[in-house]
Amino acid sequence: MTTFPSASVFFQVLINGVLLGCMYGVAAIGLSLIFGTMRIIFLAQGAVMILAAYCIYWMATLSPINPFFGFLLILPVFLGLGWIMYKGLFQKVAKAGANPSLLLAFGLMVLLEHVMSLIWSPTTRSVITSTSTSSLTLGSINISVTRLIVAAVALMATALVFLFLKKTMLGKAVRAASEDMSAAALLGISPTYVSAVTFAIGIALAGVAGVAACITYPFDPFFGFLFSLKALIAVAFGGLGSVGGPLVGGVMLGVLESMSAYTFSAGWADAVAYAAFLLILILRPEGMLGRRSIEKV
Amino acid sequence: MLQEPLKRKTHLSIALALVFFFVIYPLLVDAEASYLVFLFYTAFMYVTLSQGWNIAAGYAGQVSLGQHAFFGIGCYVTAITWRAGTAGYLDPLAMLMSGAGAAVVAIVVGLPLLAKLRGDYFALGTLGLGEILRVAALNGGSFTEGAAGISIPSDVYQSIKPYYFIALLISVLTMLSLWFIAHSRIGLALVAIREDETAASANGIPILRYKILAFTLGAFVTGLCGSLNAYFVFHIDTTGAFNLNWVIMPILMVILGGVGTFVGPVLGVFSLIAAFELIRLLTPQLHPIFSGAFIILVTLFLPDGIMSYLTGHKNRLLHKLSPFKWLALNK
Repeated sequence: MTTFPSASVFFQVLINGVLLGCMYGVAAIGLSLIFGTMRIIFLAQGAVMILAAYCIYWMATLSPINPFFGFLLILPVFLGLGWIMYKGLFQKVAKAGANPSLLLAFGLMVLLEHVMSLIWSPTTRSVITSTSTSSLTLGSINISVTRLIVAAVALMATALVFLFLKKTMLGKAVRAASEDMSAAALLGISPTYVSAVTFAIGIALAGVAGVAACITYPFDPFFGFLFSLKALIAVAFGGLGSVGGPLVGGVMLGVLESMSAYTFSAGWADAVAYAAFLLILILRPEGMLGRRSIEKV
Repeated sequence: MLQEPLKRKTHLSIALALVFFFVIYPLLVDAEASYLVFLFYTAFMYVTLSQGWNIAAGYAGQVSLGQHAFFGIGCYVTAITWRAGTAGYLDPLAMLMSGAGAAVVAIVVGLPLLAKLRGDYFALGTLGLGEILRVAALNGGSFTEGAAGISIPSDVYQSIKPYYFIALLISVLTMLSLWFIAHSRIGLALVAIREDETAASANGIPILRYKILAFTLGAFVTGLCGSLNAYFVFHIDTTGAFNLNWVIMPILMVILGGVGTFVGPVLGVFSLIAAFELIRLLTPQLHPIFSGAFIILVTLFLPDGIMSYLTGHKNRLLHKLSPFKWLALNK
């Protein structure tokens, strides 16, 4: 166990954790939205992220376009992809219950992983950006510019989803549907339409998180499952089904990971995260920020 | 649940005939060279794993995503006891200890998880359990030998036959105990918990005790499989022992066959293995892609499993084909 030698090291580790956590947070919001309306644990979230990462990798190697523009490109493409995925796959299966949906997500994950390893080969890739090596210095703390931009984009994506849910009629319908699907249907909200919209947004957020991941980390086709797990943990920290919670949950997870990687070792950081995840599930299943609800019988 | 005595007799004789076939098959062919013997061995293993998941998830409604934790514990208990010299090759005591180790962890972890968590939260909690154990084994130092894993000298291997028969025995015993549980008060209590936990508890069923029982039994047989696997692969590391395939494949097989049915998972195991092998033969390069596509197709077109087509009220396939009417199974 290592203790922090000075306050600046502590803040350095803290900031690294927060920047890492923003990325988990965006993926987690997508997962949480999908879970909120459809009660599906979308295991393929990480594979969708890596798919976005490969799209950016292709764009960056074949054209001179700056990878940062990838965010603008991925957003509409993945919105459409999510819509097609829901209409083509999940709409029918969602009626059959949670088990088949979970399995369908798993099948999709396996399919995506292997299609990606066929197209782009299983070798580890990375995307180099103009800011890959530059960093800001605040006092004695170094902040990677790439990670700072990634965190800013993550916050913007969250703000957009938040505004959509709070300020638009459709967003209100999504919130109503995640609160009580049958009551929402009684009020004239179409469950399939709302689910399709939510699913599309969830996939688009996975795309954004994928762009963020590929400009900060090297990746391979099978890297995504780890992100699915991390996003799940972030969702559990923040509370299943809520909106702002998963981002905070993601940041908490990021900080917890970088703190325990520093004090114990990188190998134990994951175990600490999972243990915290189990503890929170047992002690506060509604998440750290969630409201306690009384189960309806 | 109630079956006509005649039909029950037919089913019993089919089951006995199948077991008899599986017992004599490796004796008739050259077992070491036969790929089919190896496939049957794999199938028996998956029958046990599938029913181990099915008893908690299918009957009691407690969907676990952490079966690979129990499988991994089984692997490591066997490997560590062998390294220490306390267990021999294919030692029944070591196998029982592996199962018991998994069962103990199931009780210790199951108590808080099953008491506190329902539905998806329980599934997430068990998924976390598997990952914690994987990371713990990875960082276990000289005890688990980290990423390199524990190697068992493989020169003791003589024949696949003992593996085949042990796997067959475990799967038959698992099926038998599941049959007796499903046809007893316990089975009724488990189904009552699955259908409505609150109503079950209001009717005086000690729900936590029964959930723990189902979860622990599933963990025990999964641990046994892990132990046998350790003896078969001779090298135990974290990626092999705590592989998510050990949880996902059985779930896929049970859903393909029919969740919460007795015969369904067995049908699921054999049809999935047959389908995957066929794909592997036809397109060796593309087989993982087709496997993923196959999972998607199954969930799209057979979400309730093969059993629903055999016994369901909508599609009584076997009832329509009158020559096969006698085969139609009751749930």
